[in-house]
Amino acid sequence: MITGTADPIRLAQHAPTVSVYPKADVQLDDVVCLQLTAEMRNSAREAVLPPALHPTIPAALSVQVWRVGASPWGAFSCTFVRVGCRSGVRARGFTTGAIASTAVAAAALRDGYGFPMRVGGVQLRRGYDGAHAEVQFAGTTVLRIAGIDPEPMGLDDVQYTGTLNLAHTPNGLRLIQAEADHASTLVERLSPRLETFVGAAWGNPLLVPAHIVSASVAVGSIVLQRVRFVCRVDELAFTGTEAVA
Amino acid sequence: MKFGIFFELSTPRPFTREAEWAVYHNALEQCRLADQLGFDHVWAVEHHFLEEYSHCSSPEVFLSAVAAQTQRIRVGHGAVVCVPEMNHPVRVAERAAALDIVSSGRLEFGTARSSTWTELGGFGVNPDDTKKTWDEFVRVLPKMWTQDEFEWQGKAFSMPARNVLPKPYQDPHPPMWVTVTSPGTELDAADRGLGCLGVSAASFEEQDRRTQVYHQRIQHCEPVGGLVNDQVHTMNFLYCHEDYRAARDLGVPMVNAFNVANTHLYWTREAYPTRAYQTLGNAGAAMKAKRAPADDPSAAKGLPEGVGVGDPEHLIATVKRWESIGVTGINFLLNAMEMIPQPQVLESMRLFAREVMPKFRTREELDAPVWAPSRIDHRGLRHQVVGGAEQ
Repeated sequence: MITGTADPIRLAQHAPTVSVYPKADVQLDDVVCLQLTAEMRNSAREAVLPPALHPTIPAALSVQVWRVGASPWGAFSCTFVRVGCRSGVRARGFTTGAIASTAVAAAALRDGYGFPMRVGGVQLRRGYDGAHAEVQFAGTTVLRIAGIDPEPMGLDDVQYTGTLNLAHTPNGLRLIQAEADHASTLVERLSPRLETFVGAAWGNPLLVPAHIVSASVAVGSIVLQRVRFVCRVDELAFTGTEAVA
Repeated sequence: MKFGIFFELSTPRPFTREAEWAVYHNALEQCRLADQLGFDHVWAVEHHFLEEYSHCSSPEVFLSAVAAQTQRIRVGHGAVVCVPEMNHPVRVAERAAALDIVSSGRLEFGTARSSTWTELGGFGVNPDDTKKTWDEFVRVLPKMWTQDEFEWQGKAFSMPARNVLPKPYQDPHPPMWVTVTSPGTELDAADRGLGCLGVSAASFEEQDRRTQVYHQRIQHCEPVGGLVNDQVHTMNFLYCHEDYRAARDLGVPMVNAFNVANTHLYWTREAYPTRAYQTLGNAGAAMKAKRAPADDPSAAKGLPEGVGVGDPEHLIATVKRWESIGVTGINFLLNAMEMIPQPQVLESMRLFAREVMPKFRTREELDAPVWAPSRIDHRGLRHQVVGGAEQ
């Protein structure tokens, strides 16, 4: 059984600090969410994950871009890149990099949920012909993706797996389970396009999308659940999961 | 109650040539013993690219070896993936017929559509289409097996008139099944007169529900073939030992390791938005061996609920419970990633056959050919068929 081989100490160097877990759910409204999934080279699958997590077969990553019209942190856009994994038997994504368009939103997502958020330029445009996203950081375009030729789908036909973010927490260095409940009023499947993806800007140069699988867009709202569980970074979830009071 | 053994041919890392050889040849030895002990079926899956979890990508080859090395046990192709990118339907019909001949009419023919992106993506299959192509396959295969001139204009494939050869040894053709993982597939099976082949461990409650709706629905089926297969088999694990602690200590980790390996696959729904796959396969479900409820006698022994791991007394109670909810057969996975040494797997099979199976069979039943489906004649009457001959 394969597990991640990334050194937790090295990963911890860039991990955010969460001093207090969010104790209430947070509602995000007027949300457009673009998700792109891709397979990665298997050679990198263990190296990008901590020992607590199992990679998928084949290795996969997903990119989510959110454009949020209303939230406690105001309007913002953000992007995060996750490596597909399993925490115990649960389907999850381990966040390797994240960028938000406003300092307020970046701080809230970083300091409350452990997203490794930095501030950059995030643009998401959705039209009847598709959706286009571009992310810039430090003057460089680090992501440009699109989905075209939308096909209407059922509201539950897109799967959003839970997210694990590595952070220094009151429990120690832990993987925070960040759960986002999507309530969509429109879902479309798109023909995926990936023009630019700079792995180093998303946490690891080993992140190389090798085969683009799908793209989808969902319009609606998202509830960020309060943090309920964290996991030890070097112990499998069966024994390493801890409830947060 | 029928008892079968079920092979994924899960293989431990590292994937050395020797490891692959050992997995296949240990499985063949288990098949030979199962044949001698009176087990009814050997099932082998078709999976591709599923590292560790299943290295059984050419089940027809494995099952041909099984057929050649056994005398009475039925060989279950469980199941052929019915998408044209993986298997052209003519080749499916030809291989199945040949296997039925080689085994002298012992073939059980399972159908499936695959549930992982690992496999569908590898063959460039559009997930939206797999239910449709599965339906087309199960309707044309009986025609290929029974008609001297078959031609077809369809979605999955088209062909001019040809005589698809050889024809199966069983008349009119081998019993057909569909694998059931997602809720609702049992209805697809029932509507078409196909057997319900569970390939993932379901809870008592879920299997009870499936079995009830299946038995109700199949009464009104429109069979796709020349016979109705109204059997319900479920998948389970087997590690039987006189000492329940020894069974538990070796068997439960095997169960858990297999289920965890299953969840590592990249499920179609996770990768690709589609209406055709409504669940994440087995990922996301609590698949660890479940402890028995506190009022269950097994709880004191720390044995899991509903799983064939334990001493004979526990296994008799477990099989009775499955039988009570209408399951007509249980197919056991004997090992995973070779975690249980081969001599202990074989001893587990012997103990089960000696202490458990007789509680559910007479000696005559143990010795008799095992197939008893219904054949439909031209008047719409059903006839029992055993070992290729009507009774």
